[in-house]
Amino acid sequence: MEYSFRAHRIAGGIGADDRFWESLEEGVFRLPRCAGCDRWMWPAHFRCGGCGSWEQRWEPVEPVGSVYSWTRSWYVFDRTAERAEDVPYVVVVAEIPAAGGARVVGVLDGPDEGVRVGAPLRGRIDAPSAKSKGYAAVRWSLAGE
Amino acid sequence: MGKGVNRMMRGTTAVVGIGETPFHKRGTSGEPALKLALRAIVAAAEDAGIAPSEIDGFVSYGSERNDGQRMMSALGTEELRFGALVWTHGGGIPGALGLAATAIVTGQAEVVAVYRAMSESGGRRLRVDVAQDDTAAQQLVNGLDGPAQMCALRTMRLIEAEGVPARTLREMALVSYHHAKRNPRAIGRDAALDERIYDESRWISEPYRLFDCSRESDAGVAVIMVSAERAKDLRQRPAYLLGAPMGAVKGWGVLEENHDPYWSAGFRGVADRLWRETGYGPGDVDVAQIYENMTGMGVSALIEHRFCDPATAGDFITFDNLTAPDGGLPINTSGGNLAEGFIHGMSLVSEAVRQIRGTSPNQVPGASLSLMTGGPGDPVVSTALLGDASTV
Repeated sequence: MEYSFRAHRIAGGIGADDRFWESLEEGVFRLPRCAGCDRWMWPAHFRCGGCGSWEQRWEPVEPVGSVYSWTRSWYVFDRTAERAEDVPYVVVVAEIPAAGGARVVGVLDGPDEGVRVGAPLRGRIDAPSAKSKGYAAVRWSLAGE
Repeated sequence: MGKGVNRMMRGTTAVVGIGETPFHKRGTSGEPALKLALRAIVAAAEDAGIAPSEIDGFVSYGSERNDGQRMMSALGTEELRFGALVWTHGGGIPGALGLAATAIVTGQAEVVAVYRAMSESGGRRLRVDVAQDDTAAQQLVNGLDGPAQMCALRTMRLIEAEGVPARTLREMALVSYHHAKRNPRAIGRDAALDERIYDESRWISEPYRLFDCSRESDAGVAVIMVSAERAKDLRQRPAYLLGAPMGAVKGWGVLEENHDPYWSAGFRGVADRLWRETGYGPGDVDVAQIYENMTGMGVSALIEHRFCDPATAGDFITFDNLTAPDGGLPINTSGGNLAEGFIHGMSLVSEAVRQIRGTSPNQVPGASLSLMTGGPGDPVVSTALLGDASTV
């Protein structure tokens, strides 16, 4: 499969999360566990600092969690100017209990009046677009009580 | 002195010269950063009464690219003996003082310039330059670019999960703008900020409004450090470096929004080491320059230096308590990154030194212990305590 994100690669992070982006383009939300000691290791890294294993297992996870934190951005920032027409938009840090509390960033879709720390979230996967810089991305919605 | 005091570092070096160019709104200095760096370093050397050609060490941090080897022919440098950048961004400033001190006490250099210069005239938007292209895909893909947004997420957690009143952000801003009024160098000295103007100012990224954010500026700022022995014979009252630990503990570092605790500014561990290594505690500090890229991160830095805790932050972080000359802990007495100008935090070092000399525009009477905390929220941070001769 030709992955879109490879042609748009952003080099700034740790860079051990290719499988995350590949999975999203395949339509699956996967997060990594250490193949040695089974702990969730997120953000992905090359070696488990706990047991020393260099192997990871990428497990499908249901994109369900809650708002760990959030911000509503009212300004068109230089490197995310593709989202200018969406301003103001809300970005959430979603905590995923089924993945050991791993936190995954995403844009919030739909009504955002109820956004607050602890609010339940459900995610869906968007195909690569200019707004997400050629990467597939998880977009979150408030799941209601 | 107590157990854990770092006798090799404590009071063995001093800041003896400070130099600053005027602060210009970003993109308006008309001079490249290299020239601003030279101006600041020459001014700092003259302030100290040392010939610029004698400087043999150059230390900076972040995305500084005006390295010593690029300046030595302009300074008349006899021999460059030490040069280094401290990781990573603004978190590295006090650590740069610490590294300069390390070079001096180990005999690798005698006169070290610690400096930072920025100019948008010849380059990109400063905040992009400052980010050093190390923003992760997890962030950029999802609409997060600037420090204002990343810090906003942490401060929102501080407010909604830890219960720190949002009002503390406004108090931090009011303090800085109040102090800037008496500082003729401050870019924001005429802003006349009050509660109503703050409350009506536009959002940048909630919970931050315009006045919660620092002012990117063109300028150069430098300090000169030498051994405590040599400092005694120079022109200025020495500001002795008592300690400047850097670092990060488990749960911190580059973690792409998975830090623990998330609201932290990164000083857990580092701040406690400062108190242990210097033998002083938060109650001893007379005045503090708290690096506030954004107000809320300054709140977290104050908490992690143990001036207050999340439960008492609302009582401690008030305009009256943080204002010179009579507050319990006057902070950001030049106007700080918010109201004086943002030179990647470096101007907070010169202000920390002015408080020891007694020459601040908002002088705290008899200040002898002066704290300067580095860029909060950076994956690795540092913090420094400076003092006069009585504190060594």
